[in-house]
Amino acid sequence: MKLTPPAAVRSFLGSVRRVFTVFFRQGRKARRTRFFFLLSFIPVAVSLVIKFNQIFSGKPGREGDFLFTNLIMLFYLQMIILILALFYGTSVCSEEVEGKTLPYLITRPVPKAAVVLGKYAAYTAVMIGMVTLGLVFSFIVLNLDRLLDPSLYGQLGRYLGVLILGLMAYGAFFTFFGSSLKRSIFFGLLFSFGWENVIQYFPGSTQRLAIAHYLKSFLPAASPGRFSFLTFRLEPTRPGLALLMLFAITAAFLTLACLFFSKKEYSLED
Amino acid sequence: MTAVIETSKLSKWYGNVLGLSDVSLEIEPGVTGLLGPNGAGKSTFLKLITGQIRPSIGTVRIFDQKVQNNQALFSRIGFCPENDSFYEEMTGWIFLTSLLRLQGFSPAEIRSRAEEALDIVELSADKDRLIRAYSRGMRQRLKFAQAIAHDPEVIILDEPMSGLDPLGKRKLIRLIKAYKERGKTVIVSSHVLPEIEALTRTIILIHQGKVFAKGDIHYIRDLIESHPHMVSIRCPDPRGLAGQFLGEDYVLKVHFGPDGRSVLVETNNRDKFFAVLLSLIVKSRREVEEITSPDDNLQAVFDYLVGK
Repeated sequence: MKLTPPAAVRSFLGSVRRVFTVFFRQGRKARRTRFFFLLSFIPVAVSLVIKFNQIFSGKPGREGDFLFTNLIMLFYLQMIILILALFYGTSVCSEEVEGKTLPYLITRPVPKAAVVLGKYAAYTAVMIGMVTLGLVFSFIVLNLDRLLDPSLYGQLGRYLGVLILGLMAYGAFFTFFGSSLKRSIFFGLLFSFGWENVIQYFPGSTQRLAIAHYLKSFLPAASPGRFSFLTFRLEPTRPGLALLMLFAITAAFLTLACLFFSKKEYSLED
Repeated sequence: MTAVIETSKLSKWYGNVLGLSDVSLEIEPGVTGLLGPNGAGKSTFLKLITGQIRPSIGTVRIFDQKVQNNQALFSRIGFCPENDSFYEEMTGWIFLTSLLRLQGFSPAEIRSRAEEALDIVELSADKDRLIRAYSRGMRQRLKFAQAIAHDPEVIILDEPMSGLDPLGKRKLIRLIKAYKERGKTVIVSSHVLPEIEALTRTIILIHQGKVFAKGDIHYIRDLIESHPHMVSIRCPDPRGLAGQFLGEDYVLKVHFGPDGRSVLVETNNRDKFFAVLLSLIVKSRREVEEITSPDDNLQAVFDYLVGK
């Protein structure tokens, strides 16, 4: 029976939803999630140390939002979301191949592209949950004395949005890695801590070849200070364009991942 | 009877390596045994008919529909893979209900189907244990459960009996036969002739990627009769058991396993040997852990059949 386009789209979305439901549960319960949950709380511990130091030393120190922007956010942007996206993103396809569980999925009435999109969405939701908790706790700890200031929450929302965009874009990129490369973690590490961490500091338009560049474009302009070198940006992209680029990167790499996963015949014997 | 599965000139290469060559078959409802030594192309054939891989040449049709990317057809097929692989962090219950969810059933249906399937394979009591804590036999039964839980019309089982103890094998054989009675089409692959023989008379012999013969098992058995047959018996007292066979003229050779818990018997009369073995086990109440035909045995039979 041939499905009409809207019915086909509904059926595809239904498949994505079913895959999402299965793997969101699996992702939450997985042992690695417990480990990464602890990892995503490192900034909370750092925030607590800073706050206790401020309280007990009696020195005023930097303001909470300054520390949050220039230390905690960069910690998340340059390390935590990269590590999370790398391990969860590559596992979307590669864990099925390496764990030899692929036949259970591809012999079901679910399109292969729906498997990729459903798992990607499930793992992204798990990552967002982890990052949100850590970010909110760090934010509260560092801004304990200004919690009644409503402008702070707008800032928190924006930072959270940046991290979510980062998880989406990096997650899509690494999902593509996992669908197409055998040693996806190795190449992902090279990309994360080689390419991304170097290219984003290049002057001129070269820095636009890093995903981190577009994410940092949403952060406030760097102010001179101890951590200013971390927010070194020569030419920030306008937020609207940065948002568009991040969505385009996400869509492009997810499409590629779906195509690879649908066309490639994985060898489960390797 | 109308063919459920039809393949025409089906061939598959993995680079320069031939997986399957020019296979044209029609498979009807009932149980069909796919028999061949390891590496013969059985799994390739099963992956092709379940749409997991694309043919290099030729076509596969199930219920007169193409298989590749035909998701609607997949809800009518149940597949039990050969690999002993699972989502190890899931319980048996979660594993089964998750796969049923992918089939698109409602929550109530998922529950009832999962309960029924677990009941059939006698895993209900262990459904809440993590799969990584399951024994090999339980894992095999769980794999079978996921293949039948959605009540498919075509059930494809890749080496379903590997790792099962004799009792487990007998239960599975009984189950598969029950599906045959319900008019299902079941394909079972194995490299162990007695396993297939216990299930069906319709077999497909596959060797080096080619279908060597298709038809009634007795035809094959007649060919095999004159060829020596190896049987491995694992038991606590292999020497005592072997002593009872040594005087028989149909026993050609006896070897003992290095662990002292198995005996390998070479016989030129399988039927007589098994009849005597089984009556011995029953009469003397001997404990037997496993009876198998080693791989190289079937390989030898194939070599013999192809005239090497």
